Amino acid sequence: MKITQFQLDALREIGNIGSGHAATALSTLLQRRIDMSVPEAWAVPFEQLSAIVGQLDTPQAVIYVKVEGEAPGKAVFFFPVESAEIVVQALFGTNEPMDLYTGEMAQSALKEVGNILVSSFIMALTQFSGIPLQPSVPALAVDMIGASLEAILLEEGVLEDTVLFIDTQLTGIPRIEGQFIFLPDDGSLKKLLGAMGV
Amino acid sequence: MNEVITVGMADFKTATAPVLLLTAGLGSCIGICVHDPFLKVGGMAHIMLPTANGSLGGNPAKYADTALELLLKEIASMGANRSRLRAKMAGGAQMFSFPGKPPVLKIGDRNAEAVEKELKKHGIPLLVADVGGSFGRTIHFNVGTGDLHIRTINHGEKVV
Repeated sequence: MKITQFQLDALREIGNIGSGHAATALSTLLQRRIDMSVPEAWAVPFEQLSAIVGQLDTPQAVIYVKVEGEAPGKAVFFFPVESAEIVVQALFGTNEPMDLYTGEMAQSALKEVGNILVSSFIMALTQFSGIPLQPSVPALAVDMIGASLEAILLEEGVLEDTVLFIDTQLTGIPRIEGQFIFLPDDGSLKKLLGAMGV
Repeated sequence: MNEVITVGMADFKTATAPVLLLTAGLGSCIGICVHDPFLKVGGMAHIMLPTANGSLGGNPAKYADTALELLLKEIASMGANRSRLRAKMAGGAQMFSFPGKPPVLKIGDRNAEAVEKELKKHGIPLLVADVGGSFGRTIHFNVGTGDLHIRTINHGEKVV
């Protein structure tokens, strides 16, 4: 479907509501102030992904949750390993170095963070649109950001030339930065927009 | 220092030695590297999906079959001889798995199979296939020597 500016604006509004809830959830969880950027909505060729995530081989922790229900999609929260380590340390109340690559404790903590963030995003979306949505069990990769994101986008073996997503930056004090993206599946956007009367 | 040329997603580049072709953060995608060791020319394609057949179309450099054709055509136009060409590939990982759910369509495996099949079809020997696993790869391909340098974050680094 062709995306109009008006629809992008609506998508940004979806992002605003959902990401606001997600940021609040993260703040409550970590007992820290979390700032949120104004969400952006983009319809871009997949090849331009690097413009959004920066260097494609930077190590980042990526938490991937499938959004299931009548308007399915994919929700991804990712942050640089340094930030991820700070988040895990804050959760465990320690300053000890954390092994995010193989440590089971650290990894399940990260998944839980993703779970909470995405659930709050989805709950907001459901309340706002009236469309019931549920999050899947979260999956985690701590690896090159480009590798993780392309695997998520290509999972089903099809790729439209244009990828549509909502992008929000979360910044915590001190030294936490993360990015949240939501990608409605083909057809879901229409449903979400329709439910909102756009 | 060799000049480094970056190959983006769904992109392909060719070059004459001394040049390194680079693609960063390969997940389920595959970097196909082809070179003519005599003329010291070569190229790299960063493919994302197995075949353009039945796809939504768009950029042909996205698919293993059509990207390889484009790459070979350009390498041939640089004077390379088809019978001397050699290939290497890396990527095709499965980055995520969901507990309790069998990975439905492992797109990384399907990509690797497709590249292998296409190379065979064109009669180009595949010398190295560093594929699979659950980790990302950044690769540098030396079009002169044919050396493929593979870097990962937590699974070592090697030249093949």
